[in-house]
Amino acid sequence: MQSKKLGWLLLSPTLFILGLFGIFPFIYVVWVSFHEWNPFAANPEKLFNWAENYRKVVFDAQFLASLGVTLAFVFFAVVSEVVIGYLLAQAFMKNFPGKSFFRTIHTLPLIMAPIIVGSIWKLMTTPSIGIIPNLLDTWFGIDLNIGQSALAAFSITVIMDIWHWTPLVTLSLIAALVSLPSDPFEQAQIDGANKRQVFWHITLPMIRPALIATVFIRLMDAMRTVDEVLMLTGGGPGSATRYVGVHIYKEVFPRTNYGYGSAISVIVLYLSIVICWLLYVSLIAPRNKKG
Amino acid sequence: MSDKTENTAKSGFLPIETNWFDRLFISVVIWVALSLFWMRFIEPLGLSVWIAAAISVALGAHIIRKG
Amino acid sequence: MKRSNPWLAVLFWTFLSFLTLFPIYWLFVISVKPAVDLFSTPDILLTAIDWQNYVKVMNDSTLRGYMMNSLIISTGNAVLVTTLGFLACYALTRFDLPGKESVFFWTITNRMAPPAVFLLPLYLLLTQVYVIGDFKLADTHLGMILVYCTFNLPFAIWTLRPTLDGIPKELDEAAVVDGASAWKVISDIIFPLARPGLAVTLILTWVFAWNEYLLAATLTNFNARTLTTGLSEYVTTTGTEWGVMAAISVFTLIPALIVFGMVQKHIVAGLTFGAVKG
Repeated sequence: MQSKKLGWLLLSPTLFILGLFGIFPFIYVVWVSFHEWNPFAANPEKLFNWAENYRKVVFDAQFLASLGVTLAFVFFAVVSEVVIGYLLAQAFMKNFPGKSFFRTIHTLPLIMAPIIVGSIWKLMTTPSIGIIPNLLDTWFGIDLNIGQSALAAFSITVIMDIWHWTPLVTLSLIAALVSLPSDPFEQAQIDGANKRQVFWHITLPMIRPALIATVFIRLMDAMRTVDEVLMLTGGGPGSATRYVGVHIYKEVFPRTNYGYGSAISVIVLYLSIVICWLLYVSLIAPRNKKG
Repeated sequence: MSDKTENTAKSGFLPIETNWFDRLFISVVIWVALSLFWMRFIEPLGLSVWIAAAISVALGAHIIRKG
Repeated sequence: MKRSNPWLAVLFWTFLSFLTLFPIYWLFVISVKPAVDLFSTPDILLTAIDWQNYVKVMNDSTLRGYMMNSLIISTGNAVLVTTLGFLACYALTRFDLPGKESVFFWTITNRMAPPAVFLLPLYLLLTQVYVIGDFKLADTHLGMILVYCTFNLPFAIWTLRPTLDGIPKELDEAAVVDGASAWKVISDIIFPLARPGLAVTLILTWVFAWNEYLLAATLTNFNARTLTTGLSEYVTTTGTEWGVMAAISVFTLIPALIVFGMVQKHIVAGLTFGAVKG
């Protein structure tokens, strides 16, 4: 009896802080999203207005465009990272001199602050001082200008994300590949299976849990990318790289239309919760079917 | 095996085993998605968003009972 | 094909490492380039080293203040979350609390939520609701330390739990039989054994807090502004002083690089919520 009380006592500061800064803001933002609230409008009070804010959000072309580019960004970045990460992980399975040294270097970008990554890539790609536009110009005659070309800016944000996060995919897939038993592979070799068959029928099913976990973690991280992009392009040119997080920070937050901003925040949160829950289910579901 | 750990979990027509909270959660997720979709595409045609709410509640009741 | 010759693999990985390291090298090149050379044809190799930009950053009292704020906030936050996470994990692993797995799972959802979503509610709460008399949490060190708990505290709990699970329960049960108080068990028996795990958690949470930008940019004005926000401020207000921008970036990067070697093995496990053992 006494001991249970002690357990909750030890947990209470954690629950208190997370409640105050995690749960309560969540409830608060949902509550505000059903109100008309602009402190600088004629009536600065909160006025309950049903789903009026949401009705505006679903017709907000800017927000929908930003959702669209976010999805494109997430798709290209995560797919490239998983493919490159898997190939690199396979390449790491062989023995060669200096393996752990190369692995260490490969891990390095993971610990760097997103905003620093953004600033580094800004220094690499800004036309007047960057090395990339300069080399592209002298070698191929290509004019790369992330300040003007929407496609260039979008591609550079994707490449930056690949540079920053592929190591995470590589390292988690290495961990998965290392723990695989060797029997099925030997058996497949005896049966004369080719490389593609081995991949689809043996490797993929066996690394599936690790792969799913990694993909979803990358999906969620890519969806909330803000700092790097804010630093690199500021969401521009136009709205080419104004991903939802950037959109909230640059367009919604400064406008002090709190009710409307809350509605947008709730929708973004809704999308992330659904993805998060899908991750949970897809990790749990195969286990349940067995039992 | 699983009914020892979670005695309320059961499997219905949903592809996974769920307890009542999971099913409530799924219902709410569907409600939100349907309402947003309704406000964008169907409400301009003159059908109130309450119809979407009614559909969602009916669907939710079905999911919670049979899911 | 590649299997036959390990040196081909070495060549391949050398090339990849070059791709990984070159952007960081380029940052350094820009930061030490004399201002006059900056806009001439970009050279890959360093021709002259000029520490001018670093001197400028060190002499800027505003930036020094930001650096101090960053230090205070990340250290305060890391110590707080490691302590609370340690106590919480002790409770989660040693006591039979009803619903503790739900509590555990719930904590992680706090970390998964996109920070951009919480900009508005946290801003409103910190400036208007969490107010005691004249004291507001917005733009204070304490406010930022508490706000960073939302992503660092779940992380601390997540990484510390395996450590505490690994310490046999018989040890503290034996101590309780000998008449030791709960506090004594935690401080004299569990704490020394958990020390390596605690150190890793402390370092990683420190780096995460140091790296954070978005929340600091919206929830602080001047008093508690951090170095990362200083960096972005510098870009927007002066625009073209690339050298100084690079130097601030290097300053922000250094702590992460220093601790990198110590925690390298734990980064991946941490970033994937333990889904991957690294």
